[in-house]
Amino acid sequence: MFDPGNLKKIEAELAAWDARHRDLRTEQEQGKRYETESGIPVKPLYTPVDLAGQQFDYLRDLGFPGEAPYTRGPFPNMYREKPWRFTQYSGRSTAEETNELYHEQLAAGLTSIEVAFDLPTQLGYDPDHPMAAAEVGKVGVPVKSLKDWEIMFRGIDLDKVYVFSVSNAQASVILSMHLILAERQGANLQRLLGGMHNDILKEYMARGNFIFPPEPSVRLVGDTMLYCSEHAPRYDARLMCSIHIGEAGANRIHEAAFALSNSIAYLDEIQRRGLPVLDVVKNGLLCTTYCNHTDFFEEIAKIRAMRRLWGRVLRERYGIHDQGAHQLRFNGSQTGSPLTKQQPLNNVVRTAISTLIGALAGVQSVDPRTFDEGWGIASREAEILSLRTNQIVAYETRITNTVDPLAGSYFVEWLTHEIEERVWGEMERIDKMGGMVRAIELGYPQRVIAQDAYERHKGQDSGEIVRVGVNRFREDETGRKVRTYKAKAEVAKHHIEELQQLRRDRDNSAVSRALDDIKRVASLPPVGRENNLMPPIMQAVRSLATVGEICSALREVWGEYEEVSF
Amino acid sequence: MSNDTAMDNREPQRPVRVLLAKIGLDGHDRGVKVVALGLRDAGFEVIYTGRHRMPELVAEVALQEDVDIIGVSILSGAHELLVQRLMDALKAQQTPIPVVVGGFIPDDDIQPLKDMGVSLIFLADTPIATIAQELRELAAAKRLADTAASA
Repeated sequence: MFDPGNLKKIEAELAAWDARHRDLRTEQEQGKRYETESGIPVKPLYTPVDLAGQQFDYLRDLGFPGEAPYTRGPFPNMYREKPWRFTQYSGRSTAEETNELYHEQLAAGLTSIEVAFDLPTQLGYDPDHPMAAAEVGKVGVPVKSLKDWEIMFRGIDLDKVYVFSVSNAQASVILSMHLILAERQGANLQRLLGGMHNDILKEYMARGNFIFPPEPSVRLVGDTMLYCSEHAPRYDARLMCSIHIGEAGANRIHEAAFALSNSIAYLDEIQRRGLPVLDVVKNGLLCTTYCNHTDFFEEIAKIRAMRRLWGRVLRERYGIHDQGAHQLRFNGSQTGSPLTKQQPLNNVVRTAISTLIGALAGVQSVDPRTFDEGWGIASREAEILSLRTNQIVAYETRITNTVDPLAGSYFVEWLTHEIEERVWGEMERIDKMGGMVRAIELGYPQRVIAQDAYERHKGQDSGEIVRVGVNRFREDETGRKVRTYKAKAEVAKHHIEELQQLRRDRDNSAVSRALDDIKRVASLPPVGRENNLMPPIMQAVRSLATVGEICSALREVWGEYEEVSF
Repeated sequence: MSNDTAMDNREPQRPVRVLLAKIGLDGHDRGVKVVALGLRDAGFEVIYTGRHRMPELVAEVALQEDVDIIGVSILSGAHELLVQRLMDALKAQQTPIPVVVGGFIPDDDIQPLKDMGVSLIFLADTPIATIAQELRELAAAKRLADTAASA
């Protein structure tokens, strides 16, 4: 790539430059630490010498967008075709209110829907369960049965609007609802787009929305992947989720490494069943990534490195050379923790920078948070502002004119390579432990993430990490009020009444038969494409069994996960 | 707890024992783990329950483990009901262990929590040193009260 003679000259000139300015630099840099958020040391200057030191090879390391190794992006024309999807993680306290919100969002220019469920739904409890009492409708929409899903998407064509569900432990149930509704609307499932998290392993190490122990949970992910590979092959039945690992506190290296190692666990599950892994990855993979302003270049380099790493996993581990499989697409998601409750309008700036990071990294959707994040569930005004942020970055800055504009930056390319190698090293460590399921049982990722979070907090306490408005440039916050969304009072009662009505109206013997069938299949080992839980779960959903009933049927067979200490 | 004055004289040396708990369905454990690590480094004895615990169970564990303080972390907005249940359970057990709450608590809900009997509330971004200092004071006051009660 670099002419050796020229490189020698640059090296010599660089040394001379360094000597000329070293004293000044030493004086100016005294007592300061220069490193990325993940602790990678950063030099004052990067030149071709650094890339040569990494044996940088344009065709091998970058190539061209839309082709392996996809470093420059998953599509050949990227944003020249259309900008990334504008999305917003949201749900209200009833299906009706949520439907209203989604219509408003689409009218305002949102180009994708991202469903936030309340905690009981996420953990497989009906609203009348004692565990659910305090939390019905608090952080998202309660979905009890297919009926709620129908109401939420009334007047919304599932074959036209990309719907993304943040479901994990109960993903198989929500997937069933979605496929059944899409089919009833007349959509062609073979071409249906959309997706869901369905990345249960990160729930144990980070977000905490687990129900069953890891092993049967991974089996369930395998079942959904295999089912969709046949019946809804364009639908992202599972994605790689690194965002929640980052939000739980992991640095960018651990975030990427744990997310990729989780994905390996699911692909190993397919392999264990004696099926070709290519079946479930032939259309590439979607990754929802942490995308925050707290290290601009490291965030971008991480996303570019992850594209290369996904191809490397498929090639080296599974011998998959199929180009389409290597394509890694991204949802870039801002998260709450880098935002502040103090001086809430400052978050508007943080959101704009995060959106720009997503765009410069070439992601396929950006979900900017709202400025009132530190105060509660977003108000409509704040949601609109965060949509406008996406629109301003996409339509007013002209950064969409060319693909991967940061490519070739000595620093960005150097950092991309550096992150790739560090992540790969961490993945090897997980592998040596026996894979991610084992590592979780040992409590390894849980400990690492907690330690990373602690280090960051200590940096903040000491003032080394600056949070404007929190540990520097503070204002008197007394009397500041920010109005946020409030769930209607009596919301739990409303849902319990609806549930009772549902149980009176439906054919309860059909429901029991369907639930028995789920239990029967869940107790059989999956072999090849046999004993897949999706058909009985689909049947139960059709018969209007509730999320809680279906998850309880599985609980009976598999038990519940008890968290290990960290 | 003890009528032994020699024991009482040693009390201040005994590390503060804290039970940290996640109550309800909220899975956000970053904050509680940071606090656990920070308090351990500050010399506290910390027991952490893990996630998805019901308030009644936490009260029971606090009694068994003979802790000075219970710290619960909630970020899901379900604090009002869950903390009330914890306070009720403690009352039913007749174990006056001070309760502190951390996490996401809207301004308007702070006073109602205090009215329920919550001793301290720590919001996001509170320095560990502040938490440690206030918990030490709280534990010292509790031990004094215990000593007085048993004297």
